[in-house]
Amino acid sequence: MRGVHIRQSFLGEHTEELFARIRIGVVGLGGGGSHIAQQSAYLGIGRFAFFDPDFIDVPNLNRTVGATRADVIAKTPKVEVAERMVKSANPGAEVWAIQTEWQKDFDSLRACDVVFGCLDGFSQRAQLEESCRRALIPLIDIGMDVHKCDPYSISGQVVVSMPGEPCFRCLGFIRDKDLKEEGRRYGVAGGNPQVVWSNGVLASTAIGVFVQTLAPWCRIRTGSRFIGYDGDAFTLEHDARLKVASQAQCKHFTNIGDLGDPFWKP
Amino acid sequence: MNVHFKTTVALLEGIVADLRRPHPFAAERAGFIGCKVSRCRTGTLILAHTYISLPDDWYVDDQRFGCVFNSQAMRAAMQFALTNDASMFHAHLHDHSGLPWFSRPDIRESARYVPDFWNVKPMLPHGTLVLSADAAAGLCWYPKAKKPIRISTITAVGCPMRFLGSTF
Repeated sequence: MRGVHIRQSFLGEHTEELFARIRIGVVGLGGGGSHIAQQSAYLGIGRFAFFDPDFIDVPNLNRTVGATRADVIAKTPKVEVAERMVKSANPGAEVWAIQTEWQKDFDSLRACDVVFGCLDGFSQRAQLEESCRRALIPLIDIGMDVHKCDPYSISGQVVVSMPGEPCFRCLGFIRDKDLKEEGRRYGVAGGNPQVVWSNGVLASTAIGVFVQTLAPWCRIRTGSRFIGYDGDAFTLEHDARLKVASQAQCKHFTNIGDLGDPFWKP
Repeated sequence: MNVHFKTTVALLEGIVADLRRPHPFAAERAGFIGCKVSRCRTGTLILAHTYISLPDDWYVDDQRFGCVFNSQAMRAAMQFALTNDASMFHAHLHDHSGLPWFSRPDIRESARYVPDFWNVKPMLPHGTLVLSADAAAGLCWYPKAKKPIRISTITAVGCPMRFLGSTF
């Protein structure tokens, strides 16, 4: 429909065509991922790959945009809720609703131009980053936590891993000790507290970062990013670790063997 | 078959800067890009990693062509392919704005030397790219294919992301 995106025309003459052709991957279609899917559709993104093995359940209804009570009864897969929402905003969109763990469909992941990671846990994030780096895909990760401390505190982050630039490890976002601790606690974590407004702030920021990467509207040019969210003071701030990490070459994804599929056959 | 060629913005800028350097006698410069390959749902990804710049004395003074390189250049590129299990893409620059394309000598000569890479890496695709100031085009020879296919998308990943290819 002509004129749908007229009020974002400042993003550039060919941006509408670019958005229509680009394919984004969203890994995890819960609280954060559902916001990403919805906003991307309104932006005019034309191709989607959604990865999530789960169905809509009662505890998802406090934050999963587009999910209804009827979806709980019908056990609708989260990827189908996201597909329905995208198509209501952008009926011409091509959606791959992949109801499985993303690790089981690398071929679809590698076809994405940009991937949004909306996962729990450092180990999953580390694996997703490695897979994205193998295919030179920018990864935009979002996440939030509610910490128990007199009485509670909310924090979160938007972290971008841009191929050729500092990675999650360079940025100090993923550390060996966190991976070890997570491995030690495996299976006992239970459901972490999650709230819709923090998911929304982080997803909106991630979408802004994504648009700035594709169609920069200002002079700021940054690939990898680490933006911290203070959910008590309601502020977003660049983490100082990015400045330090940017002064050195990434040491974790430098070898030619870190790229591509080692078992590729024609 | 869709072929998507991807590089980082930093690597692309380094390649263009190298290809823009004047040569004592050659009208244009050339280089080779060492790449890895991956399958994806829409076709094949060619993932650029290393640029091999050609020293001045690897060029041949032949005024009929913009650029002729000697056997040392091919040997270096083939050695890289062999050592790193890499797919090799020749690169040169037509320094104008807009979508570039290969001249007739470009196509004829690349059809002669690109298949030579199969002597060291017969199971990998190899090819050639022509860059301009703001776009790019490419041809890719699949293993055992007699004719090249046009690379459908060429992307430079960074900020801003650049979509250089012809069909994007």
